[in-house]
Amino acid sequence: MSDRLQDLTSTNTASGDNLSAGGRVPSIVTHRLTDHVLAAVPTIWLALFFLAPLGVTVAFSFGRSTFGGVVFDLTLDNYRNALSGFYGATFVRTLLFAASASALCIAVAYPVAYFLARRTRRRRGLAAGLILVPYFSSFLIRVMALHMLLSRDGLVEHVLNTLWLHSGPLDILDSQTAVFIGIVYAYLPITIVPLYVVLDRIPQPLLEASRDLGASRFKTFVFVTLPLSRPGIATSVLLTAVPMLGEMVIPRLLGGSKGVLLGQVLSAQYLQSQNYPLGSAMAVLILITIALIVTALARVTKGFSEVGP
Amino acid sequence: MTDKADFTASRLNRRSVLGLLGAAPAAAALAGTFGNSTPAKAATTGQLNIYSWPDYFSADTLAAYAKKTGVTPVITTYDSNETLFAKLNSPAGAGFDIVIPSSSWIAQLAGKGLLAELDHSRLNLASLDQDLLDRDYDPGNKYSIPKDWGLLGVVYDPEAVGGEIKTWEDFFKAGELPNVSGKVRLSDSGWETIGPALWLEGKNWNTATSDEIKAAAERVKAFAKHVKSFSSLDPNTVANGSIVLAETNQGTARAAIGLNPKLKWAVPGPFSELWVDNYAIAKNAANVDQAYDFLSFVLQPDIQLLETKYIGFPAAVAGLREKVGVDTPNADLIFGGKDLDFKKLTSFVVNPDTIDAYLQAQNEIQAAAG
Repeated sequence: MSDRLQDLTSTNTASGDNLSAGGRVPSIVTHRLTDHVLAAVPTIWLALFFLAPLGVTVAFSFGRSTFGGVVFDLTLDNYRNALSGFYGATFVRTLLFAASASALCIAVAYPVAYFLARRTRRRRGLAAGLILVPYFSSFLIRVMALHMLLSRDGLVEHVLNTLWLHSGPLDILDSQTAVFIGIVYAYLPITIVPLYVVLDRIPQPLLEASRDLGASRFKTFVFVTLPLSRPGIATSVLLTAVPMLGEMVIPRLLGGSKGVLLGQVLSAQYLQSQNYPLGSAMAVLILITIALIVTALARVTKGFSEVGP
Repeated sequence: MTDKADFTASRLNRRSVLGLLGAAPAAAALAGTFGNSTPAKAATTGQLNIYSWPDYFSADTLAAYAKKTGVTPVITTYDSNETLFAKLNSPAGAGFDIVIPSSSWIAQLAGKGLLAELDHSRLNLASLDQDLLDRDYDPGNKYSIPKDWGLLGVVYDPEAVGGEIKTWEDFFKAGELPNVSGKVRLSDSGWETIGPALWLEGKNWNTATSDEIKAAAERVKAFAKHVKSFSSLDPNTVANGSIVLAETNQGTARAAIGLNPKLKWAVPGPFSELWVDNYAIAKNAANVDQAYDFLSFVLQPDIQLLETKYIGFPAAVAGLREKVGVDTPNADLIFGGKDLDFKKLTSFVVNPDTIDAYLQAQNEIQAAAG
């Protein structure tokens, strides 16, 4: 706010505005008040619809379940249950799934983002549009569309058969492969964008300097481009791994609901078992995991805000 | 009916898609908040509020009732019995007159005092199929009358399976065959996957203890490696051979057989599931007279026929089979096949003591398949 005040005053002086500084102050005060009111709206909204339910969830996670009800208590049983046996294994499996799916997304998205940033010049807007437009349609519809393409007698089967890459009916649905294809397809746009932004901002002179000093293109990539794109990679990890911790649509539609993930187990606690405390404990554990991921990524990219063109 | 099992095309899509989005409670809340269907509590007569599954009454039936009585029933929808239970069990549930719970949840709803006892003198139960009355989920039909029903059975490709499926033992054996393994679909409902294993051991799925459920689930867990999918069954996948052996209901099986006539349908022994969706009257219904009037109206044979054709699952009136014309393909399948024996059917009843065992075992079975 004070920065803004200063900016305004300095602009006034610089432009030789006729209005005296004193004349502007009341309007700035009203402005400031409006700002506060405007800020209060989302704050209250968040407090009411985010913090309050979160508080209830945390409180529930220490309670005991009575089929559809909760008795408040201070037990750690739910956490013990969520971290041991089948649920513990599911937790680990989900973490591995999110990590590998996220890595796969970045592996596919990086070359695309690199190409966009380095090679597209004038058609950049068009290229970015082509990548982003599908993302504006409903997630569920995109996954269902992929389901049709991958199904028997679907387009993918015909294309592969025509290209002699496969023969006979394609039975890829209801498998882990289909799940990973679906994940990459669905999450690719949001993986590309942060990578593109960061690659686009790497100053050309740095790359030229690297070449002048005798580095090959490969070395330039490994020692200049890749390290400088770390914040983009970190953001992409965040944008893909976090939602994947709760992913349940793709495994269900493309993976035949096999190899249960945490999202499915968690929602089943609420919707079917009516075991709110256990579901809450799982939700809190996921939140803690996400907080840890965010902290780790923040450390990786620390200091980057000062670097740059 | 089981909440997560598959249904006819129309019900299947709506229910499963909503469920997928995890939008069940949200959808119910939205419908309750913004729908013009918010039930009016103080209304006395000339009004009727129905809380039902989506798309579960034919528009013709509702229009005919409105024409006859001048009352247009207001329908609000839910997509799972759990949502129905949660809503009726809360202040938001006040003001509904007729609700449509499944057989598995009647006992829970009635036990919580959420359903009114029915006055049989005001309904013509004698006209209904007696096989569907007085079943174990609601003895004496104290709280419910059947609306429509379905089965757990198997649709399969006899060529791939190499014979006929008569029992659940045949089903499990067939799934292990080299050309069937990996092309099997199991239900995503715990009691529908573990039930067959319990029946083979001579146990009753409603009285089995948690330990017995877990033990029976071991067999299914060992079988899981042959399973391709637990998701809702798309009739096309059976018709085109992606799946050659599948647990499903008669509606989906009929759709698949319609696409590929060489497929077969069986209701394996020694037991299998009968699920029934039921009309019930909410405990504090404001429009009780109107509710009975509506129920009498929909129980008329011609309306029952209309509803059967619309929903794709049979309504409850007796002699319906003869009324479904020869122009309807595979009409027998609507009624579960020609030689269906109701004595060998059992309905699941949700029991808070054991439901967790079923659900957790189902999760483990699905995980074992991955």
